Amino acid sequence: MNSEAVVMKNISKEFRVLNRHEGLKGSIHDLFSRDYRTVKAVDDVSLTVNRGEIIGYLGPNGAGKSTTIKIMTGVLEPSAGEIMVNGRVPYKDRTANAEHIGVVFGQRSQLWWNLPLIESFNLLRDIYLVPEKEYREMLELYRSLVDLEPILHKPVRQMSLGQRTLSDILAAFLHNPGIVFLDEPTIGLDVSMKAKIRELIRGLNEAKETTVILTTHDMGDVDALCRRIIIIDKGRKIYDNDIGHLKSYFGSYRTLRMRLGDDSWVEQVIDEKETDVMHVMQEMQKEHRIKDIQLQEISTEEVIRKIYEGGKSA
Amino acid sequence: MTKIRRLTALTRAGIIESLQFRLGTAVMLFGNLIYLALVYFLWKAIYDSSGTDMVNGMTFHDTMIYLILATAIFNLLEMFIVWDMSRAIQSGEIIIHLLKPMRYRLYTFWSYTGAHVNNFFLAFVPTFIVVAVITGGAIPMGMNLLYFMISLILALIVNFNIEMLVAPICLYTESTWGINIVKETIVLLLSGATIPLAFFPEGLRQAVEFLPFRAVYDIPLTVLLAKNGTDTLAGLLPKLGIQALWVVVLTVCGNLFWNHAVKKITVNGG
Amino acid sequence: MELARERKRGLSFYLSIYRKILIQDLKSKMSFRTDFIISTFGMVLTNVSGFITFMILFHNFPSVNGWDYNHMLFLYGFSLIALTPVQCFFDNNWNLRFMVRSGDFIKYCFRPINVFFYFISEVFDVKGLGQFAFGLGTFIYAWAHIGIPVTFVTIAEAVLFLMTASLFMIALMNFAAATCFWIINSGYVMVIMFRFKDFAKYPASIFNSVFRFIFTFIIPIAFVAYYPSLVFVTPDRVPLLSWLSPAIGALFFWLSYKFWMLGVRKYDFTGS
Repeated sequence: MNSEAVVMKNISKEFRVLNRHEGLKGSIHDLFSRDYRTVKAVDDVSLTVNRGEIIGYLGPNGAGKSTTIKIMTGVLEPSAGEIMVNGRVPYKDRTANAEHIGVVFGQRSQLWWNLPLIESFNLLRDIYLVPEKEYREMLELYRSLVDLEPILHKPVRQMSLGQRTLSDILAAFLHNPGIVFLDEPTIGLDVSMKAKIRELIRGLNEAKETTVILTTHDMGDVDALCRRIIIIDKGRKIYDNDIGHLKSYFGSYRTLRMRLGDDSWVEQVIDEKETDVMHVMQEMQKEHRIKDIQLQEISTEEVIRKIYEGGKSA
Repeated sequence: MTKIRRLTALTRAGIIESLQFRLGTAVMLFGNLIYLALVYFLWKAIYDSSGTDMVNGMTFHDTMIYLILATAIFNLLEMFIVWDMSRAIQSGEIIIHLLKPMRYRLYTFWSYTGAHVNNFFLAFVPTFIVVAVITGGAIPMGMNLLYFMISLILALIVNFNIEMLVAPICLYTESTWGINIVKETIVLLLSGATIPLAFFPEGLRQAVEFLPFRAVYDIPLTVLLAKNGTDTLAGLLPKLGIQALWVVVLTVCGNLFWNHAVKKITVNGG
Repeated sequence: MELARERKRGLSFYLSIYRKILIQDLKSKMSFRTDFIISTFGMVLTNVSGFITFMILFHNFPSVNGWDYNHMLFLYGFSLIALTPVQCFFDNNWNLRFMVRSGDFIKYCFRPINVFFYFISEVFDVKGLGQFAFGLGTFIYAWAHIGIPVTFVTIAEAVLFLMTASLFMIALMNFAAATCFWIINSGYVMVIMFRFKDFAKYPASIFNSVFRFIFTFIIPIAFVAYYPSLVFVTPDRVPLLSWLSPAIGALFFWLSYKFWMLGVRKYDFTGS
């Protein structure tokens, strides 16, 4: 097996959208005419995801994240470009591709709504033709990672959102796929459930060396799970590198807080490319007495916000 | 005045929304035409085989006009309140509706009027004109048209109230499909929408007299065709009176039931 | 290893999956007892209402177009049985447009099995069985009163023709449901198609040639009961179309399946 889980080369995806007109007159107009415009949801994106990685796939709403995932899962055919997932072209053989991927899409449960979780698992075992031994081992692994008993015999419709998400993630890993796509897995969950879910994802990734492609708006997920992140905006890839690198890439900002002689705090954001902390402190000391200092790293969240808001882009 | 404006804004939004389903509109018209052709051939064969022109006081023409316009009214009145409400209940959206600064029953009624207005002009009026032209004067064109409009509006309110009386049952049972099908079957059969009430056996016809369903189809159509003396005020007023009576009875019952149901929502938290 | 896995997903694979889903589904349905009772009652009521309509007609008119009461009853029973599979097995088509509009439909595309199968398998509608029982009773009653011989051949024919006749209605509903991939308000298409089924129970000979053509070749509801019934009702002069109906049914079903799958492929999945 090659070491890349996903290879995308110059992938684009265009949609035709009907222009709807405003108001009563507009709707009558729409009744008779077809007026389309083309929207580029994904624009010339190339990327490579290595086996066993957890990738954070980020971008503001409508940036093209979901579309990319749909292309990788074989649901959508790209308008242009080449793509290989697990060594296969996903849209050409969706079924064969589906065999080796797992998907958790937003808050939409893919489990049988009325069935107890264990019955859903059994059905999935049959659908994916998972050998009994592997199936049992997987359930054992699950038991070692989460407390399975309270949910195993509960119908999905009676579960809380957190339990449902947990179940969906477990179901996505059940057939031991090479790649699992997680689209906003922690959306709407409370703090402790979020932590649980992150732990589970990391545990499964480590135990099975599963590649995980994670889209999220929660930087907590990113900080907890991803070493590498890819950011897209308006369909174009704008960042693809280590998370640590991100902070220095867009200027290595840190915040220096100093307590002065009159016990007031002053803050100075420092771009370490242009100047360094010691220098700023020396300058300050010429005029003030500094009683105390604090040095704060800029958070991922702040960096990402800078990027989304159209700060510096590469 | 602002209240009326607020309500008509809903109507307007409803018109726009249902116009946006442009292909849907075309399909609906086409589908109705084919369906009506089916009705036509069936009854033509039935009358041809019976050997007489007049059955139970209805000629072939009368029956056809009645059934075609019944279908048109069916489309006009079609509401999916049972489905809408059950979905709103299941998704919890009902709470949002309840928070709106307008009573839910009123809100639902006026949201649907947009579709009603559309259906009236896009489906009913064309159908009516075609039928009137083809049958060449079988439909009288006088005051009966005005009376019909009054009767139709009353029918619309009766129909809405039947829907609103049935829909909250979803809160108690989770059986949307079952409830809807029971309602639809009963309304269509006992209102005379599938077969004119004139063809019903005597016992059944008398039983139906005491039920609200004929206020939806049978009465407006009788008024439109100026049958049973409804072309005179003396014949007309009792019919409209029956409709009005059902409007009052069903509105009161519907309100009581709805208030009870809302309590259940607020108690259970959706 | 991979090849072996994929080869195993043949007919027996799908049948066994369907059976398992069905058993689980029935188990969970037991927990919605009120829904089950009300729905079954509703289903019985529609059948009773249909039957009342039928009786009222015959109360006024003893024969239609040369078909007497028993023949009409045979046609009626035949249509009810033939309409059972669409009700029992393909009912999820009614949910398709909601799933497609909300974007929830995408979940059916992530499994390594046929999307159509996966979608359809999700709902089994028990209440259709009431209709089946009602239809079967009528059918047997009419069969006996017309005096159709009970032999291995006639029974085999009945089974074959009933099964293939049901494919027509299934296919029509597939077509109607799949329109939601292209048009927004496809609910009307389904409702109208579903209404056509009411006319499956009347002899197609009542239509003029244009409409008979339409209902034979374009919206083939005449195949749901009329053409296959002729094999039993007028055994001495059966038109060729009646004998061909199983083959046409299979073809028509296949076309509807292709159309449905085309819709899945064309659909943008933008609703998310």
